[in-house]
Amino acid sequence: MRRRNILWFTIIFVALLLLPIIFSDPFSLRIATEALMWIGLAISWDVIGGYTGRVNFGHGAFFGIGAYVTGILMMKGGWAFPITVPIAGLTAGLIALIVGFPTLRLTGAYFAIAMWSLALAFQQLVLLMTITGGPDGMRLPAFLNPEFFFYLMLGIVSISFVSLWYLMECASFGLKVRSIREDESGAMALGMNPTKIKIQAFVLSAIPAGLIGGIYAYWISYIDPASVFGDIITDQAIVMTIFGGMGTLIGPTIGAVILFAFKTLFWAYLSDYEVLYLIILGAVIALTVFFLPNGIWGTLSAYLDSRKIKKFGEVISQSTGDDNEYV
Amino acid sequence: MLLLLPQALLDGIMIGGVYITIAIGFSLAFGVMHIIDLAVGEWIMLGAFLGFYLNQWTNLEPFLFLPVVFFVFGIIGYYLQPVLFRVLSGKKGNPLLMGLVFTFGLALIFKGTGLTIFGFYSHSIPSILSTSSFSIEMGNLYLTIPSIRLVGLAYAFIITIMLQYLLKKSNFGLAVRALAQNREASGLMGINPKRTSSYVYAIYVGISAMTGVLIGNIFSLSAQMGAKYTVFSFFVVVLAGMGYLSGVPWAAFLLGLIQSFFLIYFNPGYTLIAVFVILYVVLLISPKGLFGKGW
Amino acid sequence: MSEPIIRIDSVTKTFGGLHAVDQVSFQIDQGEIIGLIGPNGAGKTTLFNIISGYYTPTRGHVYFMGKDISGQPPYRLATKGIGRTFQVVKPFPGLSVLDNVVIASLSRYPKRRKAEEHAWEVMEFTGIVDRAHFLAGSLTLAGRKRLEITKAMALEPILVLLDEVVAGLNPKEVDQTIELILKIRDQEKTILIVEHIMRVIMNLSDRVVVLNFGSKIAEGKPKEVANDPAVIKAYLGEEKDKA
Repeated sequence: MRRRNILWFTIIFVALLLLPIIFSDPFSLRIATEALMWIGLAISWDVIGGYTGRVNFGHGAFFGIGAYVTGILMMKGGWAFPITVPIAGLTAGLIALIVGFPTLRLTGAYFAIAMWSLALAFQQLVLLMTITGGPDGMRLPAFLNPEFFFYLMLGIVSISFVSLWYLMECASFGLKVRSIREDESGAMALGMNPTKIKIQAFVLSAIPAGLIGGIYAYWISYIDPASVFGDIITDQAIVMTIFGGMGTLIGPTIGAVILFAFKTLFWAYLSDYEVLYLIILGAVIALTVFFLPNGIWGTLSAYLDSRKIKKFGEVISQSTGDDNEYV
Repeated sequence: MLLLLPQALLDGIMIGGVYITIAIGFSLAFGVMHIIDLAVGEWIMLGAFLGFYLNQWTNLEPFLFLPVVFFVFGIIGYYLQPVLFRVLSGKKGNPLLMGLVFTFGLALIFKGTGLTIFGFYSHSIPSILSTSSFSIEMGNLYLTIPSIRLVGLAYAFIITIMLQYLLKKSNFGLAVRALAQNREASGLMGINPKRTSSYVYAIYVGISAMTGVLIGNIFSLSAQMGAKYTVFSFFVVVLAGMGYLSGVPWAAFLLGLIQSFFLIYFNPGYTLIAVFVILYVVLLISPKGLFGKGW
Repeated sequence: MSEPIIRIDSVTKTFGGLHAVDQVSFQIDQGEIIGLIGPNGAGKTTLFNIISGYYTPTRGHVYFMGKDISGQPPYRLATKGIGRTFQVVKPFPGLSVLDNVVIASLSRYPKRRKAEEHAWEVMEFTGIVDRAHFLAGSLTLAGRKRLEITKAMALEPILVLLDEVVAGLNPKEVDQTIELILKIRDQEKTILIVEHIMRVIMNLSDRVVVLNFGSKIAEGKPKEVANDPAVIKAYLGEEKDKA
């Protein structure tokens, strides 16, 4: 099973590496870069949202923090871009650690609203501070190189994807996280400290968002409170993940690609109706929760699995003669 | 500077009054349906806009619309409740989580609708009382009490008393309290849980929307105001202790005080930051609310 | 005489005004099977929760292998060697049986591969290995109870707390479970078992502790306890109260 996954990763990764050769115009590269960005934001949200089962309504805050860390370090500190990105990620992780500590030991609703509140608070903060440029935001030096940013985003998102895949699907951490989601008090009886694991997952979800935010700042060369701390970032990450399928990495990826493709086409034809997009996002999420709670990928893979188990179950019951315990 | 203190305190209490009603409705919905409605701020926004447009079209006093707005949104809430219930009692996934996400989706829909129809602008609902105010002079103290805010306080008082009466003295209230304690048993006792829940949710949505009119009156309204008031509602409910209605007035007044302080002394933008910081500290030290009686 | 595995020393647990457990003391020695019985509400599950770390005693202490463990969280006690099942079973419904057990094995074998190997061994031991790939949520009650025991065993515990592991099972399933419990004892585990089905408790236990309204009212060999008038009264009520 693992070898087959590695094969898929490699194929897709190589295909993406070669993408700029086929689509070399700046516009296509921008679209591709942004698509990758959303994949990164969606999978990182899913770590705390789907795998751990704690919905985070302030994920965008980490993106914004990363963006402003890069912005401030580069513009006010004169630091070089490459150093600022890891710092952006680590800062996001640190904030996650601080905020996660009191909120994750409580039920999910408290965490949800605390994070929502955090995102709003940060938006206000950068609006008021002078070092962040206030409402006017910050202008970063323009570095117009679409290929560079495409490969950079590809690199960071790929590393994030593979790391998260390893941690959440292959190593023991992912199992522990899921057990906490399924039954926290039952997990305690098996040796797990729920709060510690939840905080670890939370930090793990914040770092990629921070890294991506840092890249975004230099890529777009302009950041302001509305664009990087706006709730549209969190909103989309959540919808993409839920629509695609929570609790997996492929789900958010698919959801990100589909929704982003939709948005791009939508924009092209109905650019006047930006706000209509919000309604569509909301409708997608409401309908998905109602009809397809496992998302597209979740529903699909559950169907495939059930066919596998049914077969397995039939084979077993025929050989042992026991009652078929799988209903 | 200190001269402004009494005024700030007074303002805070008057502002806080309005928050009481939102939080009570919210707490009620939570107690009965165990739903945390992330769309609460949007109900407020929609109610505010209904009040605004009614006022624009008829030029009547916005206070006259309060029952109308309550009714309209009450009906909407009544029919929305079964949908919510379906989501909350689902078998797949974590129902409470799904409930949160679903109401979040609703909030998005409402916000998008609001922005589409009403645009990005800020408005205010005018009223006869907008410009009038009382003044009190006590020695060195000079206090201004805008009539509107006084109305807001009175409104909060009336609604609270009415709800208290409804919950404690009426048959319906008894049903509600029974439902909050044990849904299944209530059903066995002849209470119709679905209908009662629908009524509770209707009341909550109606009150929230109605309060929106007042907020539009006292402050302002815009299609984007929802998020702020959702956070505020939560702040009050968490500080009071989830489900602990008696703590609501104190927490509401505290929020009002915070808001008025920043309004008078610093920059109103700091309010949200302060809200988060206090929320954080409370969750750190006393997650069951300031009185330790929360859920 | 070596240190008892568990020593409950005058443990009291109150909830508001209610004394769920009232100054209970007893000890369990290595390799024993102790039965804990009493009418509903006597405080048996509360005592379990105290021993396994879910509750902190209001007064009194619990000593495990000589060390005071009162008030330590469940996850720490799990790694120290206390394994338990729950009266209302707690599987991880969305995960497979195998994954359920692997998670338990991780406490002893942090590396996933080794934990999986170990999980297979434990599942073989408890007889649930044929259902390894089933979703835990799809198991029958007997299956879930078996899974519960498997997970507790995967912790490689010293003390095993079994909370009504045969409630709701049919007679054949009950016998299979009894067999399993005896197998567990043969592994030199110490067992504290709560059960309502008398024949199970009386046949399995070396000694029996009886609780009623939170207090210990009797302790001793099964036959002694069964004939103890206080015990009979607790279960059946005073004779002269019967009309």
